[in-house]
Amino acid sequence: MPTNRLVVKEEVATYAAVMFDSANGAGGQDAVMEVRDQMEEILRVMNADMDLSQALSNLDYTPQQRHDLAKAVFADCNPVFTEVMAVMAERGNASLLPRVYEAYGEELSSKLDLCVVDVTTAVALDDNLRTLITRKAEADLGKKIVLRERIDKSILGGIIMSANGKRIDASMVSQLTNARQVLKDTSDGGEC
Amino acid sequence: MKARANKAVAGIGVSTLFVSTAFPALAFASEGEEGGGIAAILPDPIEFVPMLVAFILLWVILAKFGWPMFNAMLEKRENTIREALKKSEKAQIESERVLQEYKQQLADAKAQAAQIISDARATGEAVKADISAKAQSEAEDMIAKAKVAIEAEKKQAVADLQGSVVDISVDVAAKLIGEDLTEGEHRKIIERYVSEAGSFNAN
Repeated sequence: MPTNRLVVKEEVATYAAVMFDSANGAGGQDAVMEVRDQMEEILRVMNADMDLSQALSNLDYTPQQRHDLAKAVFADCNPVFTEVMAVMAERGNASLLPRVYEAYGEELSSKLDLCVVDVTTAVALDDNLRTLITRKAEADLGKKIVLRERIDKSILGGIIMSANGKRIDASMVSQLTNARQVLKDTSDGGEC
Repeated sequence: MKARANKAVAGIGVSTLFVSTAFPALAFASEGEEGGGIAAILPDPIEFVPMLVAFILLWVILAKFGWPMFNAMLEKRENTIREALKKSEKAQIESERVLQEYKQQLADAKAQAAQIISDARATGEAVKADISAKAQSEAEDMIAKAKVAIEAEKKQAVADLQGSVVDISVDVAAKLIGEDLTEGEHRKIIERYVSEAGSFNAN
């Protein structure tokens, strides 16, 4: 299949815009955030399961088969996302989903003046922490902030924040990893 | 030669016996007369003449036939002996020459053997010294390499041990943090980290 970077970029922007506008029109900011969250989760699943992403992009299947496959797999997701994903699979563009996700974030930022900050902690946030984090992010990014919280015990403690492709890692696990590395690197080579 | 002389005497004896056998009366006569005085020492002509004739006859025969033969035999024998002596002398000279030559060759061979032994000994000494030096050098190299390897192993072992200690310490710390901190303490830590954390705008 011939590829043209500008054409692909336009396709990605179109998919993201359609998905955003449809979700926003159907359910406002909540629907937009829901679609974003589902897209993020599906990306994680597709990265872990190559069979799914390969099946959705496999040109040995007919477009209709790919369309039906996407609709069946993503039946429980937001209908907007399901429909757009089915069209992408039908057209053989399922592999563009990561770029669509990025473009969707840009749509979110530009059209709603929103910035989604993903926050990962080992325990659930309380209101005080939400406020603190929101203020810090608003001060840094200059936009209205929406926090997407996730609890992950494996980080042991602390917090990981990411927004617009930038990441602040203040987790215990990363600090311990750094400490481990520093202790190993400061070895005097056995001349102790 | 002695054998030839004996042969000649035997010939005279035979001649005498021949004369005695030819004239037996003369012999008996001489034995029968045993008178004294001068007659005892003077030859009886009757006996003397035949004996003289026999003697002369014998002498002539011997001179005519015996002596040339005898002389020829002697000369031949002399020549043979002379030739033998010459040959013997030549052989002796030759053998002495050969002996001298052999002695010279033997001396040369001995000298050569001594030289070879000396050379071999010198070569052996040189090889021995070379091998010894090479072995010494190799041993020193091996020792140096072994020292380097031991040092590297030691450093690696210490580094591994240090890494293990670090890993264990960090794992223990992680376990303590994961198990011992309460939610309130976690939130306090989060609050402090958010306050101290860098900005999203930082590069």
